Amino acid sequence: MDFANLASQLNAGTIVPEGIVIVTLLGVLIVDLILGRTSSRWIGYLAIAGLFASIVALYFEWDNTNPISFGGAFNGDDLSIVFRGIVALSAIVTILMSIRYVEQSGTALAEFIAILLSATLGGMFLSGAGELVMIFISLETLSISSYLLTGYTKRDPRSNEAALKYLLIGASSTAVFLYGASLLYGLSGGETELSAIANGIAISGFGQSLGLVIALVFVVAGIGFKISAAPFHQWTPDVYEGAPTPVIAFLSVGSKAAGFALAIRLLTTAFPLVADEWKFVFTALAVLSMVLGNVVALAQTSMKRMLAYSSIGQAGFVMIGLVAGTQAGYASMVFYLLVYLFMNLCGFTCVILFSLRTGTDQIVEYSGLYQKDPLLTLGLSISLLSLGGIPPLAGFFGKIYLFWAGWQAGEYGLVLLGLVTTVVSIYYYIRVVRMMVVKEPHEMSDVVKNYPEVRWNLPGYRPLQVGLVATLIATSIAGILSNPLFTLANNSIAHTAILQPTTVVTTQVSAMNNE
Amino acid sequence: MLSTLIWLPILGAAVISLLPRAIPAINIRLTALTVAGLALLWNIFLFLKFDISNSGMQLQEYLPWNDTLGLSYQLGADGLSILMLILNSLLTWIAIYSSSQQTERPRLFYSLILFVSGGVAGAIAAQNLLLFFLFYELELIPFYLLISIWGGQKRAYAAMKFLIYTAVSGALILATFLGTVWLTGSTSFNYDALSTETLSTALQIILLAGIVLGFGIKIPLIPLHTWLPDAYVEASAPVAILLGGVLAKLGTYGILRFGMALFPQAWSIIAPTLAIWGAVSAIYGALTAIAQKDIKRMVAYSSIGHMGYILLAAAASTSLALIGAITQMVSHGIILAILFHLVGVVEAKVGTRDLDKLNGLMSPIRGLPLISALLVLGGMASAGIPGMVGFIAEFIVFQGSFSVFPIPTLLCVVASGLTAVYFVILLNRTCFGKLDNNLAYYPKVLWSEKIPALVLAVLILFLGIQPTWLVRWSEPTSTAMVAAIPPVEKAVTTQVALNQKT
Repeated sequence: MDFANLASQLNAGTIVPEGIVIVTLLGVLIVDLILGRTSSRWIGYLAIAGLFASIVALYFEWDNTNPISFGGAFNGDDLSIVFRGIVALSAIVTILMSIRYVEQSGTALAEFIAILLSATLGGMFLSGAGELVMIFISLETLSISSYLLTGYTKRDPRSNEAALKYLLIGASSTAVFLYGASLLYGLSGGETELSAIANGIAISGFGQSLGLVIALVFVVAGIGFKISAAPFHQWTPDVYEGAPTPVIAFLSVGSKAAGFALAIRLLTTAFPLVADEWKFVFTALAVLSMVLGNVVALAQTSMKRMLAYSSIGQAGFVMIGLVAGTQAGYASMVFYLLVYLFMNLCGFTCVILFSLRTGTDQIVEYSGLYQKDPLLTLGLSISLLSLGGIPPLAGFFGKIYLFWAGWQAGEYGLVLLGLVTTVVSIYYYIRVVRMMVVKEPHEMSDVVKNYPEVRWNLPGYRPLQVGLVATLIATSIAGILSNPLFTLANNSIAHTAILQPTTVVTTQVSAMNNE
Repeated sequence: MLSTLIWLPILGAAVISLLPRAIPAINIRLTALTVAGLALLWNIFLFLKFDISNSGMQLQEYLPWNDTLGLSYQLGADGLSILMLILNSLLTWIAIYSSSQQTERPRLFYSLILFVSGGVAGAIAAQNLLLFFLFYELELIPFYLLISIWGGQKRAYAAMKFLIYTAVSGALILATFLGTVWLTGSTSFNYDALSTETLSTALQIILLAGIVLGFGIKIPLIPLHTWLPDAYVEASAPVAILLGGVLAKLGTYGILRFGMALFPQAWSIIAPTLAIWGAVSAIYGALTAIAQKDIKRMVAYSSIGHMGYILLAAAASTSLALIGAITQMVSHGIILAILFHLVGVVEAKVGTRDLDKLNGLMSPIRGLPLISALLVLGGMASAGIPGMVGFIAEFIVFQGSFSVFPIPTLLCVVASGLTAVYFVILLNRTCFGKLDNNLAYYPKVLWSEKIPALVLAVLILFLGIQPTWLVRWSEPTSTAMVAAIPPVEKAVTTQVALNQKT
């Protein structure tokens, strides 16, 4: 094999965005090693610049005519690009949030950012991984970084407990996933590449066998853990409550997006033979997640725990698009994850700001905040209402598209359940808005009575403000001016080769079902 | 054209919310009043431009918005919506005018009211189902805040109840819209592109049931009405005016526009049920109102009763009945607005709404004579006394419906009689009798507080004496809407009903 042939086989240009992230990661570590803590003033911006460069590089990769690289181990198609973009963007906002938060907790910023960047790297590789070993490695990169981030504030016992719990559940679900992957390897007669697995299984005659179904269920357990779908959600509330808030902001958006990217790629490429089965499994997961996430969130008193259950519910909504299994279904997932990025990160930024200024995250302590901090009140209200699907905010359009796609695919029950649970979710989102906006001055909580003067020029507050305003604007207008985002989401699906044959098959199936 | 009605108030709301804190409440109120006044003037201008002889959509506007969702910014008005639009503008102006000059947190209050007004105008003008739904849901949060910040004692409970009921209504409506559009094979939500003829009757009935239940919560029909007494009573006077005068009309408007006009066949099948439902609602509202001890609660239940007539008329779906329904929507909006305004004034001056404590307000010197006189007029108008707009509307409804559903119509006539009963109770307890000498040192009613009621009273009398001005706008539209409804079921029920009578 000559060099030119090897280079074209490797096609290393597709991972330039990840390359930039790696260089940034190393840069952050080395700078910190040389300069020590004095660098923490600007090291965050270095990481942000690197991530921006990575997103720019992703832009140039768009509509790559030759996306398969590293002999099939990585697939740089438009689907992966849009998910890698979501992961990188969520990391940017997370860094904006964490500069002050990590400083205040008395821990080192550079290590935090380095671990966060490696989690980002794992998520970005996972979005495009096309081979079982590659999937496992990137999944573990993401997971191990997440465990480390969860326990980062190690003087806090809750953070320790959360990290241990997360590690235990995560490790066992990874093991289950790995068992499923090894079954797939065996069933397909020794293939690790996703596209080859489907063919291998079809040829070897294990088409609808019990082994394939077991492999499917095991793999789904691993994915369900990442996207925190009930009943694999149990880590979510504890981790969200214990871990540093910027970390859970990343876990709720970046990690979840990577999990959904994995779900789409793995299920459509490796399991087309049991499409009805995995749709059934995900229908069950979606039903459970929507009901459990939204009903249990009603009873939460801590903001972070409430957002944890709400994120379980939101994962349930996104799964409607996955179950629909049509082009519109996948596109609605992408669109919803994009707007979910804005609204959830906006919400978490406000939660961080509030806890930085007051040191608490109990919902009752938000009473009467409108008088002291109008911007925070506006930001949290808009993001929560958007999560609840109130027009004309971004979340409304996201939900409409999900429901529309679900209805088109004939998933009436799921859509109706989604509508009902949306009504339920409005209740607990509006409860927080009521605390902040409706409460009279004399009903103000003690914490808000002693609220410090709002100042943005303290170290680390300016990036928080920038992040808050940017995500707030995006949440408010991304719905009304949603055409570019819709085009992006639709194109990312329409231009992705792996989704084309399966979508044809699934539409035929659904057409037959309709008859 | 119609866009101005939507965006002028919303823009005004944005400007008001950004005004500096130092500006006193009274100036903010003045700004809001100016914005609402401009919107009203513009609406009157559109009203005069409106071509009465044209039964189709006029003043249309179209902008592509989102092809993926089939959502487009398509507006238009016909005889049904133009009346609702002007009612909305008028009542917004009245509501802002009747708000207290010392309202707490004025910037938020007035921007929310203007926002709501723009949203309602958008919902009425929307010619795209999804656009309608967007504007419909837009009311949710502002009204929640309006009730829960500026309401009475139990406002938190009332506001939450309102929110949940309305959200459920929205969910039902969205589900039905999605169902209708997808099952008819339409690629967009545009109203004029929809035709349900291809659907099986059973499916049509299911979808229509979704529409009726969804909007029935908003109207409200019993047994979906339980949010209404709480929300109306706990809301402050201007908010109650908007809730009852405008928001309830969105419900009936929705039933007419999306129930009756989209599902003519299914409509003719379920019409008898609806007629009975409307009659039961009317009777129930009247009987419950009689039992109330709180004047605001009484007026709230009267609202349930009066909305029942609209359902009866819509079910009858003769051309005359439909005109009656539209007229009743307008007349109920005006009458409810004057009643809630007057009740608000009485409460502000006397300090109670309790029928057992109020007495002798008619007393010329120390009472509130003009307010009482107007209250008598409002009560009479509501009860359907000739010479006022309430009578015109009810009479057209009854005349239009009698030939189709004689028994429900008679029940509604009985309910109309009961309306007179509880308004007489109300007037007797509040306006007549003797003042309590120890308590009766009421503040003076300012002229500015009387003006909205006087305007509405003039309107009630004028339209009552000269009803053509109210009726003629909707005649071609209602004829066209009714023409599409098959008369089969109606004929059968008429014969059966007549046979029973002979």
